[in-house]
Amino acid sequence: MPETQTRQVVELGYAGSERLVMNMGPQHPSAHGVFRMLLTLEGETVVAMDAIIGYLHRCHEKLGETLTYVQYPSIASKTDYVAAMTSELAYVSAVEALGTFEVPRRAQYLRVLVAELQRIASHCLWLGTWCMDMGGALGGGATVFLYCFREREEVLDRLEELTGARLLYGFHQVGGTRYDVPAGWDRKVRDTVAFIERRIDEWEAMLEDNAVFRVRTQGVGVVSRELAQEVGIAGPLLRGSGVDFDLRRDAPYSSYGDFRFRVPVEAAGDCYARYRVRMVEFRESIRIARQVLDGLPEGPISSRPGVKSVGQVRVPKGEAYARVEGARGEVGCYIVSDGGPRPYRMKWRGASFSNLAVLPHIIPGHKVADVVAIMGSVDPVFGEVDR
Amino acid sequence: MQPDGGTAQGVLRETAQLVGAVGRAMGTTLRNLFRRPVTLRYPDVTRVYPDRFRGVLALTYDRETGEENCIGCRLCEYICPPQVIKVEMLKAEKRNWAKTFTLELYSCEFCELCVQVCPTDAIVMLKTFDLATTDRRELLLDKDRLHALGLRFEHSWATGTRLRDMQAPPKAARAAGEGGARE
Amino acid sequence: MPSFARHALEAAVVLGALVGLVAYVTLLERKFAARLQSRIGPYYVGWPHGWLQPIADGLKLMLKEDVVPARADRGVYNLAPIVFLVPCLLIFATIPFAPGLGVADLAIGVLFFLAVSSLEIVGLFMGGWGSNNKYALLSVMRAVNQIISYDLPFIFVALVPVLLAGSLQMSAIVGAQAGLWFVAYPVLGQLAFLAFVVATLAAENRVPFDILEAESELVAGFRVEYSGMKLALIQLGEYAHMLGTSFLGALLFLGGWLGPGPAWLGPVWFLAKALAIFLLVTWVRWSFVRIRVDQILAISWKLMLPASVLLLLATALWVAAGGAGAA
Repeated sequence: MPETQTRQVVELGYAGSERLVMNMGPQHPSAHGVFRMLLTLEGETVVAMDAIIGYLHRCHEKLGETLTYVQYPSIASKTDYVAAMTSELAYVSAVEALGTFEVPRRAQYLRVLVAELQRIASHCLWLGTWCMDMGGALGGGATVFLYCFREREEVLDRLEELTGARLLYGFHQVGGTRYDVPAGWDRKVRDTVAFIERRIDEWEAMLEDNAVFRVRTQGVGVVSRELAQEVGIAGPLLRGSGVDFDLRRDAPYSSYGDFRFRVPVEAAGDCYARYRVRMVEFRESIRIARQVLDGLPEGPISSRPGVKSVGQVRVPKGEAYARVEGARGEVGCYIVSDGGPRPYRMKWRGASFSNLAVLPHIIPGHKVADVVAIMGSVDPVFGEVDR
Repeated sequence: MQPDGGTAQGVLRETAQLVGAVGRAMGTTLRNLFRRPVTLRYPDVTRVYPDRFRGVLALTYDRETGEENCIGCRLCEYICPPQVIKVEMLKAEKRNWAKTFTLELYSCEFCELCVQVCPTDAIVMLKTFDLATTDRRELLLDKDRLHALGLRFEHSWATGTRLRDMQAPPKAARAAGEGGARE
Repeated sequence: MPSFARHALEAAVVLGALVGLVAYVTLLERKFAARLQSRIGPYYVGWPHGWLQPIADGLKLMLKEDVVPARADRGVYNLAPIVFLVPCLLIFATIPFAPGLGVADLAIGVLFFLAVSSLEIVGLFMGGWGSNNKYALLSVMRAVNQIISYDLPFIFVALVPVLLAGSLQMSAIVGAQAGLWFVAYPVLGQLAFLAFVVATLAAENRVPFDILEAESELVAGFRVEYSGMKLALIQLGEYAHMLGTSFLGALLFLGGWLGPGPAWLGPVWFLAKALAIFLLVTWVRWSFVRIRVDQILAISWKLMLPASVLLLLATALWVAAGGAGAA
């Protein structure tokens, strides 16, 4: 592993050496959206890597300042569109922290439930796309990808039955949730998580002991504990590097204090460790989802009457930061209010954005083929990186 | 598959492990070979949309009187985050009407906020989404087309009243009755 | 010149049948992969089950614009698909589909097959080099490494049945399996067949070893700049090579056209066996992720090559000890 470099100098042109500057992205099969990497290669080995982001910038934070507290939750899902529920939750938590909004227990439980279902769906997508990065669209990678999507579809079906949408839900609102569970839904969720639990075994049978998979992931892209803490990565990456930190347990929000679950930690810090962490998280999410369903209290889902007009929610002057454990790590939302119906300033802390910062430290020294494997194991979502 | 040197026993164990792993991986794909495909032959076979499906928007008529429900109050216009709705109100003696009602479906986010705020349950979502077209002007829906869509496709469960009832904290008992308008 | 005319006719028939077969082999693979992945696969073109899909694909590629990159080496770039395709089709010249049914049953058939089939690397390299594209360049660098590394074990493994049969002639090799298919020879046969499948995967760039195509890293590798009919030629060549190697495998290990039933069933048996090998390779392809280039080379030089040489030596000893009594 090369040591941490403050700045990679990219040598343009050949300059007498056998170096080759190759552009990867923003249009590239494994750019995970629109990530652009300038790789300086010596043969197949990457000697320097420059990350260029911003191709999906949509002025999201400015948009948040023009939309009211009523309108924005359904747009908040567009930051991290793969795990929309958690970004919505971060936003409404920030607003609730700012004002004095009580959230009924049923709504709290539902928030946890959808967040965990979302985590399952998001990890499904991660596993699938990551394997596709390593295995190609015309090979076993695509098979794992389609298996994962097949199972993710089940979760999305449940969320669709709940909210009517498959990707951008608008499930949360300030003071509670917008939708209550339909009749018979909890039964279906139980079936779904049981089904996914069985299918996880199947994915593991395809990958876990597979020598081909192991040589591609073990010892590749090692993020040391120190580097992880220095760069400030979060979520499964951080836990894969041996740091035992999970907001759900260490700073419980919503009703996470009521549930028992295990936070997986792996010490190795390589792609395989991250894989192991996420595979355990699948199972822990299923466990939490079951506990929520067992203990789902009766009662209202919102402490406020249903939204009737655009400026209905007002919060006092002040500022607040709320953070939740998204599928990719700490998703934070910072809001400054001037007392009006919309934030004066808002800021997102995207987990993918912070996690990407580790790439230039770990990629040099690896082969081109490892670059995509490392990229996939970081699991960035570019809606959240560029915002 | 990493041929690192070792004892003969180690090599044997590694080989056995490798063969086992290869067998498991290929067994998994083989098992899936005999599962039914989960994809559908889409235009011929459509999946069942859930009750709350958030699809294309439409305007409704009153079931008893056959009048348009929309009173042109512009609440949906105000709340729409991407601002795709434009309404002009027509004032009248008994009740107000929407003089024009345009909805730019190509920019719609399907967040259901317009349905949520509608005081007369005039705007609803439909259980359809595939209005693909080669001309975006066809997705600029005016009042007549919105009404026509409402007659053509099945309505989703959600209406403004129902959504607000579902969220309302104190009077949860009121929402119990079913029997709503569904075309 | 009746003899010449007859040969030309035979070649034309084989070629025509081959192109049709290759087209439908792609459909077979697509349907098979689709079912492995819980999908339906091609369906609507040639309803039902996409029977016309390969023809539609071919037509589409023919009608597509032929883009040549501005800075490409035009001569090399344009010639490459042909250079790639010719050896891939030529390998079928030596394959007898039934006793006496084939273009040329050479006395050195296996040698010819191996020699010609490894020529594809020339066209491949020309394509990657001529495209003037960094992805393509990296891809062919990998390709040269990989194909040369894997041709050696491939040849050694292919020589095992040759030793067992005591002949390089394809029909003689099949004849030697009349008693027992070579794959059924204890230990030796199975190991050789396994090694043959692995070497085939590598020599054909199928997935655990498809680093030169590597869509997720190198987009499409050496053919990233190709479009239209040139792409079709390259695809045709790839699948023809794939199919040719499957036929070779069926000849060398599975007893070619031997099988129960009347003699005219021979070609059917042969085709079925070749397709079985093809499906096996496809099955492997859709079940694994890709290996890295250095690991591929390590496997080749540290594992496959010694193993195949040992296998060959063991076979030679066995034959010398009079083991191959069936021949």
